[in-house]
Amino acid sequence: MNFEAVIGLEIHVQMKTKSKMFSNGPVTYGNYPNYEVVPLDMAFPGTMPIVNKQAVINGIRVAHALNMTIDRELWFDRKNYFYSDLPKGFQITQNARPIGHDGYLIIKTSKGERKIGIERIHLEEDTCKQLHFNDYTLLDYNRAGIPLAEIVSRPEIRSGEEAMKYVETIRSIVSFLDVSDGKMEEGSLRCDVNVSIRPVGSEKFGTKVEIKNLNSLQNVKLALDYEIKRQEQILLSGGEVRQETRRFDEAKKETVLMRVKTDAVDYKYFTEPNIPPIKLSEEFIEEAIRTSNELASSKMERYLGFGLNEYDANQLIQNRDISNYFDECMKLGANAKLIANWIIVDIQAILNKEEISINDFAIKPSHLVELISLIDDKTISNKQARDVFNEMLTSEASAKDIIKKMGSSQVSDQSQLLNWINEVLEANPQSIIDYKNGKDRALGFLVGQVMKLSKGQANPGLSNKLIKEELDKR
Amino acid sequence: MTYLDLPISEIHAALMAKKVTPLELVKEALARAKADKDNCFELILEESAIAKAESLGEPQDNPFWGIPYIAKDNFSTKDFETTGSSNILNGYVPLFNATVIEKLDNAGAILIAKSTLDELAMGGTGTTGHKGITYNPYDKEHNHLVGGSSCGSASATASGVVPFSLGSDTGDSVRKPASNVGLVGFKPSWGRISRYGLFPFAPSLDHVAYFTRNVEDAALALTLLSGHDDNDMTSSYKEVEDYSKYLSKDAKGFKVAIIKNVLDSISDKTIKEKFLETCNSLKERGICVDFVEIDEDLLKAIYPTYIVISCAEATSNNANLDGIKFGPRYEGDTYQEVMKKARTNGFSELIRRRFVIGSYALMRENQEELFLRAQKVRRVIVNKVNDILKEYDFIYLPASPTPAPLIKGSSDKLSNEYLIADNHLAIANFAGLPSITLPIGFENGLPFGGNITGRAFEEGNVLAVAKTLEDITGLKGLSVLNKEDR
Amino acid sequence: MKEVNKEVLKQAANNLLFDMSEEEYDTLLHEFDIILGQMSFIGSIKGVDEVEPMTFPFDVSISYLREDEAAKPLRQKDALKNAHDIVLGQIKLPKVVG
Repeated sequence: MNFEAVIGLEIHVQMKTKSKMFSNGPVTYGNYPNYEVVPLDMAFPGTMPIVNKQAVINGIRVAHALNMTIDRELWFDRKNYFYSDLPKGFQITQNARPIGHDGYLIIKTSKGERKIGIERIHLEEDTCKQLHFNDYTLLDYNRAGIPLAEIVSRPEIRSGEEAMKYVETIRSIVSFLDVSDGKMEEGSLRCDVNVSIRPVGSEKFGTKVEIKNLNSLQNVKLALDYEIKRQEQILLSGGEVRQETRRFDEAKKETVLMRVKTDAVDYKYFTEPNIPPIKLSEEFIEEAIRTSNELASSKMERYLGFGLNEYDANQLIQNRDISNYFDECMKLGANAKLIANWIIVDIQAILNKEEISINDFAIKPSHLVELISLIDDKTISNKQARDVFNEMLTSEASAKDIIKKMGSSQVSDQSQLLNWINEVLEANPQSIIDYKNGKDRALGFLVGQVMKLSKGQANPGLSNKLIKEELDKR
Repeated sequence: MTYLDLPISEIHAALMAKKVTPLELVKEALARAKADKDNCFELILEESAIAKAESLGEPQDNPFWGIPYIAKDNFSTKDFETTGSSNILNGYVPLFNATVIEKLDNAGAILIAKSTLDELAMGGTGTTGHKGITYNPYDKEHNHLVGGSSCGSASATASGVVPFSLGSDTGDSVRKPASNVGLVGFKPSWGRISRYGLFPFAPSLDHVAYFTRNVEDAALALTLLSGHDDNDMTSSYKEVEDYSKYLSKDAKGFKVAIIKNVLDSISDKTIKEKFLETCNSLKERGICVDFVEIDEDLLKAIYPTYIVISCAEATSNNANLDGIKFGPRYEGDTYQEVMKKARTNGFSELIRRRFVIGSYALMRENQEELFLRAQKVRRVIVNKVNDILKEYDFIYLPASPTPAPLIKGSSDKLSNEYLIADNHLAIANFAGLPSITLPIGFENGLPFGGNITGRAFEEGNVLAVAKTLEDITGLKGLSVLNKEDR
Repeated sequence: MKEVNKEVLKQAANNLLFDMSEEEYDTLLHEFDIILGQMSFIGSIKGVDEVEPMTFPFDVSISYLREDEAAKPLRQKDALKNAHDIVLGQIKLPKVVG
């Protein structure tokens, strides 16, 4: 029997706003515990929620990027339950009326493009962080109240690879929109998966299993591939899939049982009475969309328009900061192909080696562009450029200054060049004859000899011109 | 009689003329507070009140400068324990002031005490706070209720401790006790005064409200306390007026509606007669007074609607009380056990029963028939009342069917009797309308009040007609200190 | 609607994280008789189910949103001063599982 998987994803995106969703508590990562707390974050009695404008703008931008219908009025609800990490005993979320609904996303997989429906995106708040020890747990409220956007897909994903691509694309969107770091390893993008299988052609859904806390793209795929197989084996051996929550064991590369699900929890939702409905004007929504950052997909098209090949363009949009660096260079009038090549090959190698972001990279776009323009107009050779580039990594100076300092500047002095040229011409009479006989290749050979004689210092462009003149004289 | 017993405007004049100092006023108020026999206080703030009085300097021309006041113990007060009269908050010292506390402080008013309430403001008798029963000062024998939930503020103000005290009103928690102790109790429109720092009971019904001894002081307080607050999204942007200017407004031409079936349900002859007498006097002053009716079923629906909505919201609002972040902490093997011990020991049985009712009303299977239906009836009732207020400027009714009831026999258990005259004040909470209670008479030495409710954000007109009624009855500046004069 | 009996109420109390005495459940059962009777009476009022549920007392829609600016946070010492059992600047609980 052939089965197909039915997969739905819930993604929580932690926003990098300056303040929290419903309080003006600061959002700063990595501070000491309980240093980023205002009274609302710890649910002190009498505090009241005040909605963060930037979080709403972020919600609108993501909803727009996911082709969703944006609600013209914001409503919030309370989701009531008790847990040690939930200060108020309820979470403020959007149950009845999410900020965005009914959208879709196109993903590219090895089997081509697929359109995945998205049910909703809603705004809510994060819980406090629990630090678990052997026999106790510590509570840190710095995280309590950080804005979250939850994106819920329709159960239209069919494989581990599709799920991975879906998460990857969402991650790219929230990262390019500057809504979130989108780092799964650090929990700023969290992914829960629902998966069931059914015989191909069947309309009926199988029993859903939930897999929690998948902390990398690769694990999304691995966990689903494993889980789909596991469920297939159960069904093929005549068993029944239980409704349960599982987690992915990274070491064993398999999903393991966390708990068998009983009745769904009743969250006793009701409208948050401390937040009146908030009207979102057309101008506000349009402004949020108009001023939002460019998405990877749009950059991709633009880069192809620059004449880059698909591989290079794709490399550049893997990371928002790298694509921004490239854009910055292009604004300064760089040669697209050359600059892309330097970024993808040379710079990327250094970033990988030093494990830094391009934002912390020593060479600023203006300096890189200058260096490349010097190669482009043949002021320096590729080999020299590499030396200058290496020097730039530890110096703040511009390419021209470094070239001057290194004394590696090309020799463009005519008399010096003519000395070298005449020496070369005398040593290669055959080449002169070849040139006179119309063999253009001979000119290239002679220029090469001059470069060799000058240890690469001769200005190749000028040397070319002078050799031609000398040959014509003879 | 001292300066403390005068209307705020006259105390203010005396302060400006330096006939009396804030320190003298505060010392007098503290002395009276300490002589309390009615269990009015959670905390008397002697030290800080005296320090504040001494720090005030030269008189400022602001009616609340140097005026001692009391706040119900469900207003967050920085550095002063605030318990909501519940054991679950014993020892809780807030880190911030409620907006109204901040406004009063900035105006130079002096907080001299935090007053008792029904536990977490969820009661109407003044008997359920963790310090026990708060008594009605008009009965030295302690047989009568003061009513609640703002029992301590009502009782202390009626005892003459202060001319002004803060309360909160979710169903009638200021306006009913005001009736029982001969005070003015005013609840402005929902959103007129910021609720930031008020411990929530049921936010969609909660209002900051207050007691004064005359209508003029109520107007002064409103001018000070009103206005939008960035800490409360539900607070209104509507312009704050000088409400005192309405006190001289001629009430002639106003139209007043009496809900006939509410009045008919009252059996206390003295109250009924006195009430109708005031109606006639209003007519004599050129005010049109008509009887209207509301479908009896809707009136009967007020109480269950109130119970369902308020308990549902309350169970959620108080879910933050778990003994982890604040309040008494208990040991346990699991976090659930820690929270369960705190909540079992911290809440009285009445409160726990209310939470179960509220939680049950919110359950998925029950919401449609309980919580959502209550919210629908709320709308039907509000629509009906607003229809009346399209034709009439006010609704006028006795605030209560009786003077303060006996403590013996009173209960906070739910009752199957439809006491519509006991519950009609909640209409103003359902619709967020400005509503004022003021004394209109006495029966066997116990005061009782009338209640006027107007259109949303028409506080000025409500105060204007209340002033007219006060002029008619002559009952102003009442306290137990001057009851022998009557 | 869920049937009301002691078990259901005990479950509800348990979900609210508190215990009640047996007598209290009896009182509560009696109160449920009353409130459910009254609510079913309300359900019979004409037109009630034809309107939308009302959360806010009147039309209160607003357009205010808070600018995304952070305030000075509480000092850690203050934030934790009402809590008990503090370890490493955090509130300590028995080990939270699952």
